[in-house]
Amino acid sequence: MTAALASFTALVLLLTITAYSVAGGVDYGAGIWDLLAGRGARANRARELIDHAMAPVWEANNVWLVLAIVVCWTGFPLLFQSVFASLYPLFAVALLALILRGAFFAFRHVGVGPRGQRRAGVVFGISSVLAPFFFAAALGAIASGRVAVSEPSVPVWQACFNPTSISFGVVSLAATAFIGASFLVGDARRFGMPDMTDYFKRRAVIATVVLIIMGTIALAVMGLENSRLLSAMLTGLGTPFALAAVIFTPVVGFLLWRGIFLWYRTLSVVVVGSLVFAWGFGQSPYLLPRQLTIAQAAPPLGTEVLLSIVTLLVVVLVLPSLALLVYLDQRGALESP
Amino acid sequence: MLVMMRFPTILAADALLPSRIQMAFTLAYHVIMVPLGVALPTYALLMNGIGIFKKDPVALRIARRWSVVMAVQFAVGAVTGTILSFEFGILWPRLMGRFGAALGLGFAIEGLAFFLEAIFIGIYLYGWTRLRPKTHFLLGLALPPAGVLGTFSVLAANSFMQTPGGITLSATGELLSVDVLGALFPRSLGYEFWHFLIAAYMAAGFVVASIYAVAWLRGRRDHYQRLAFAIPFTVAALLAPVQLVVGDLSARGLVDDQPAKFAAMEITWKTRSHNPEYIGGLINGAGQVNFGIAIPSFDSVLIGLSPNSVAPGLTSVPADARPSIVEANITHLAFDLMVGLGSAGVFLMVWYFVVLLGRRHLPQSPWFYRVASLAGIGSYIAIECGWTTTEVGRQPWIVYNLMRVADAVTSAPASFVWIMLSALLVVYVLIALIFVNVLLGLAARWRHEDERELVRAPEEGAPYGPRPELASDGSVSPMGPLP
Repeated sequence: MTAALASFTALVLLLTITAYSVAGGVDYGAGIWDLLAGRGARANRARELIDHAMAPVWEANNVWLVLAIVVCWTGFPLLFQSVFASLYPLFAVALLALILRGAFFAFRHVGVGPRGQRRAGVVFGISSVLAPFFFAAALGAIASGRVAVSEPSVPVWQACFNPTSISFGVVSLAATAFIGASFLVGDARRFGMPDMTDYFKRRAVIATVVLIIMGTIALAVMGLENSRLLSAMLTGLGTPFALAAVIFTPVVGFLLWRGIFLWYRTLSVVVVGSLVFAWGFGQSPYLLPRQLTIAQAAPPLGTEVLLSIVTLLVVVLVLPSLALLVYLDQRGALESP
Repeated sequence: MLVMMRFPTILAADALLPSRIQMAFTLAYHVIMVPLGVALPTYALLMNGIGIFKKDPVALRIARRWSVVMAVQFAVGAVTGTILSFEFGILWPRLMGRFGAALGLGFAIEGLAFFLEAIFIGIYLYGWTRLRPKTHFLLGLALPPAGVLGTFSVLAANSFMQTPGGITLSATGELLSVDVLGALFPRSLGYEFWHFLIAAYMAAGFVVASIYAVAWLRGRRDHYQRLAFAIPFTVAALLAPVQLVVGDLSARGLVDDQPAKFAAMEITWKTRSHNPEYIGGLINGAGQVNFGIAIPSFDSVLIGLSPNSVAPGLTSVPADARPSIVEANITHLAFDLMVGLGSAGVFLMVWYFVVLLGRRHLPQSPWFYRVASLAGIGSYIAIECGWTTTEVGRQPWIVYNLMRVADAVTSAPASFVWIMLSALLVVYVLIALIFVNVLLGLAARWRHEDERELVRAPEEGAPYGPRPELASDGSVSPMGPLP
């Protein structure tokens, strides 16, 4: 019973991380393109679109992050302790980037004048790069097997910065830019800005190529460094997800390259989700490779039961209201204000 | 030689100090966001209800503007709350490793409540123009319960740290089993929950009302100002005497639940009957109290309605298991200030209702509004003081009598925590500047519109919220400084 519930909790944790990667990815991705837009009239128009697309997201993506943390410390207390004891520098940087990003996004809207807006935009953009990189690097550090149970067994900087953690960070940046551009194509189409549709279409195609290159390099690095995880991802439970990422990434690039505006957003969500799933299922049944399994880290039964009830409530209460919110966002006003 | 011997010891334990400062600072900051987050939706919905059922467009305008403040405020609270959840891992990994399965239960429910709040604030904000008024109002009614649920869950976690229950530990201190109800409803939750919930509603009501008290002093005395002042002020004032009773129950609960904390609050050195109540004053390491005003036997009377009631003293607990002298004095002064401010709230309540019920109109005296304009900041100080009393009075324990703060702290080097603390200080100042700037900008624009009787969407110019409608040519309005 406890073991089954623990597996369920692990799945919930993976799903929350995935949801943050996707929802946060769209958001951070827009920030990356904001940073890369440069100067000039076209860049300003791109920023207008980015701003317009992001306005409804008032830090609500943090909900997924907080949920992931809460599920982790309640459902797998030992995992939580171990991960933070070894990887606190990565989380500290990601956290600071996350705050700066939100603050400077808001700052752009306060009457600061064009120069202030540009500077605020740079901080916003740079922190949009740092946050996904460091969050993903933490996942890579776990995958590399350098996070020991409870207290660190290797120096913290080695646990944080190693080939696997860095390649996770780089792939996540490419994936974030990829999903961000793909959603901005959708926004440009929705808001009737054909020039921006082309603009982000081209960038989405470039991001696809970069993602494929970075993904290949990351696989090679992992093969050299940690062949076990790689073989688990390619032959174990992670296989279907790794395959899905390999297949659908070029499909999205192709669709956008040819201007076929069908399924490209859904598929880019599938790609990012598959990348996270390939890692998670590739690692199972381990939470910390070869050191801590899901069953070993499971909390007492009472906690598992309550956590499962809360999960069900999230599904029953949150999903319908989230759907209503999205519906309201897409629907125009009933009357002028 | 002595210096050389001491140096390594300081180094070994030194992440403790910056970690405590960082946690205290970020929590003290987050607490500022909480009252409005928990209670402003209720006040906005009251106003919304008045607007709908009395067909009062002014009330609707107020409610809609407050909902914009709600969204901006929620964004800041979401950020400061996210930071806190990471700090549990970065600063106190061993606390979560050992007690996460019990302490986390409340937080798991908080995750749900936080999610619902985020979504329903969005729905409420969007719904002004996209839903029929009654549907919109009914959907908004989800917000107060979500706020109460959030308050319950965070206080359940805090109460577990004060009076842990519902767990079985092995001889080595490992968590063996968790009784969910026992861990979610620790002994101290009963008073902690009500005390804080009422505090949140009072502080939110007083702080909103104090803005319109200032408006009154500046000469704005129309229907808009009267309504926006009276509704939150009346609710907060009605709660003031209730809070005095609940606060008293909380303090008395501590006599049994956390005697050392109670002793620190009253700076009692030795357990005794006929214990005096000190107003102000500082205790020293020898147990003498200086500077304070002593009311003979009054502490004993407060505990058991008789001067013979026995008050616990600090020395009833071993020195290494009770607050230090400095901590005891901080606890005592914070407690006194909180009680003083709470009593001032009751005084203001009496003043208000004597005028309101006697003359059948709102007070007309500038002095009343001067005092009322301070009620907002006063209730926030009271909340900070109450929180200080609770947390400092619990020292040196992170989980009362089970785990010490020093045993829970990260093994990260102190320099790392100091650097992170410095970075957070800078960032938090920035967040405060932006937050105040956005609110002042919105207020200035709304005032400007009211003076010229312009009608525009209140959420325009806020950094978060529904997108402005697209122009007919499909272009979006350029972002820029507020008009």
